[in-house]
Amino acid sequence: MLRRAVLQTFRQGLAQSFFKRYAVSLTETTVTHQPIETSDEAGERTVPTQKTGDESGNTVVVAPPEFRFIYPEFLPDPAMERRNRLREKLERMDMLQRRSVIEIPEFYTGSIMAVTVADANSPNKFARFVGICIQRGGSGLRAWFILRNVVDKQGVEILYEMYCPLIQKIEVLRLERRLDESLLYLRDALPEYSTFPMDMEPERRLNNSVVPINPLKVKLRPRPWLERWERQNLQGVEDLNLPQRFYDRAEKVAKPWEKYDLMLHYRKTIPAEEQEKIFAEVHSQLQQQELKRKLRRRRGSDNEY
Amino acid sequence: MFQSLEWRNEKLSYLAVKICLAVDITLSLKAFRLFFNHEQIRTMSRVKRRTTHPPYWHVLKNNQRTDEKISSDNLRFVQEVIQDKYKNKSPIKGSDLDIEKTEWDPKTKRSGVIARNIGVQHMWEKDGKKVICTVLHVLDNHVIRYVPPEEYAKSVIGAKMFKNRKPLGCLVVGAEASNPERFTRQYCSLFDEVGLLPKKRLARFIVTPNAALPPCTPLTAGHFVIGQAVDVYGKTIDYGFQGVVKRWGFKGGPASHGTTKFHRRGGTIGTGRDKARVWPGQKMPGHMGSERRFNRGLKIVRINMKYNIIYVKGTVPGPTNSIVQIFDTALPRRKFTEAPPHPTYFPPEDGTLPQEDIWDSSLHVFGSPSISV
Repeated sequence: MLRRAVLQTFRQGLAQSFFKRYAVSLTETTVTHQPIETSDEAGERTVPTQKTGDESGNTVVVAPPEFRFIYPEFLPDPAMERRNRLREKLERMDMLQRRSVIEIPEFYTGSIMAVTVADANSPNKFARFVGICIQRGGSGLRAWFILRNVVDKQGVEILYEMYCPLIQKIEVLRLERRLDESLLYLRDALPEYSTFPMDMEPERRLNNSVVPINPLKVKLRPRPWLERWERQNLQGVEDLNLPQRFYDRAEKVAKPWEKYDLMLHYRKTIPAEEQEKIFAEVHSQLQQQELKRKLRRRRGSDNEY
Repeated sequence: MFQSLEWRNEKLSYLAVKICLAVDITLSLKAFRLFFNHEQIRTMSRVKRRTTHPPYWHVLKNNQRTDEKISSDNLRFVQEVIQDKYKNKSPIKGSDLDIEKTEWDPKTKRSGVIARNIGVQHMWEKDGKKVICTVLHVLDNHVIRYVPPEEYAKSVIGAKMFKNRKPLGCLVVGAEASNPERFTRQYCSLFDEVGLLPKKRLARFIVTPNAALPPCTPLTAGHFVIGQAVDVYGKTIDYGFQGVVKRWGFKGGPASHGTTKFHRRGGTIGTGRDKARVWPGQKMPGHMGSERRFNRGLKIVRINMKYNIIYVKGTVPGPTNSIVQIFDTALPRRKFTEAPPHPTYFPPEDGTLPQEDIWDSSLHVFGSPSISV
């Protein structure tokens, strides 16, 4: 799709600028920045902080470009009427404070997660829910994600606010991505695609550098559906097998010119220069937090032996 | 006996009159409910809510001449003059200003503060309940002048305000210093006495004489206390010309079932019977928003002294990035019981920095461990 291609070039532009700055390790970077790859977000986790030289000779700290996908809630809401740099900065400081207390791991739509929440009505005062992340959104302290699971043949979805202090622990049991950014069609899919055991163990990843894409195509139940899935260009759904009139109507209603509307996409995103600034501001603290957690994990595993 | 009878009759008649009056009143009250009292309902929608021009005694503010053909040398000279005129002033300490040591009493009215509403942030209380807090950025407020009560009562607004009351003083406070080139000479002259850069926004705060401040006093976020209630004045969001459904909450008509051209209209505008005309104040489409409003009794839950930020529980009139004014509350049950920073907050003389981020006891601080119920 050209729309995807436009986004890809936007991201590639960012990646290429990063590539130009970090021209030292060519071999590492060529693997990630091939244009054919559809998994455009697959970046190398092992790439350390880059320090580049300005014309004046001062070092400029630049965060790795993957931060855009690991920490998307640090980017503010692009609506210009409600933007204010000072408030966004204060919000980011509060987010970092919260992140120093609890680990909010990297996850994507399609990852299977377990969330432990303090609940006064539970027998042991904590409630744990396991589910697949079907949608994530919000920016700043309002960031949220929805977990879906089928419990006793009843589909259950819970919306969690990532920075709510009631949340005790967020674990990612299986880190992967799907072919779509939003998996709301699982509500109309066969229940086996949304069922995950509550006592699921965290799975170890073989290859730590790339987040795998699960190319699963989901089978939907017979109509009626909650939404008109045939109008949404879903990649992760099997052939819908609808009468031709549905597809004709979808074509009539479609807006194919939107993929050429540069201003529309510009207004929906934060410009690349501002993203760099934002992540440069927060990345040193985030890295420090990650290092501390790694040390704690290593010390914990050492203490076991 | 005759007299007593007469007296009794008088008393009875007096009582009877009283009872009659009472009956009258109840009857009329019932009548109020029986008949729709248009006058009461339509009073507020008839009040003139806004003007687009400033009052006649204001000086012209913004520089009207736009394309002046000055040479670059002269432009540089103008900038040099501005630099010389408004040379850097060192921050004023409390000891430099000659403030009379006045006592605070519960009837004192302190100055308010001009701030910008920079948005909304969600915070959580200690029991996990989410709270929407408005973030207010206290701009660079400076007192421009103080008008004593006797003088203020002679002015146009002062006379109206203190017609049958004891007059109070008035503090003129300015915020958001900006380039003098964008303002007229008359407007800049308002700040000449004080020697400050002209401010974009001016406001008047009614104060008791014991809370008067000398000119050039800075007002910061420390002027307020954690947990206090404040009133915030702002101009509501401007929605422009709006229809009757959005403006007055009418239900309109059915969306389908054969309705012809009656989906968001007002419908009937009168009975046709009593008065036989459209009553003044009839709710109709028109300009909505951009009105003066006060949100009263908002609690301050967090103050950031470093960036001059106040977090207030609740919402504030006006869109994001609009200017608002913050006052100590007028609500009688939420007023101060202890003395606040009076007449305003000054950083301590010995140079110790105040606590940067002060939180209310009911809020969950982000750096503290997760809440376990």
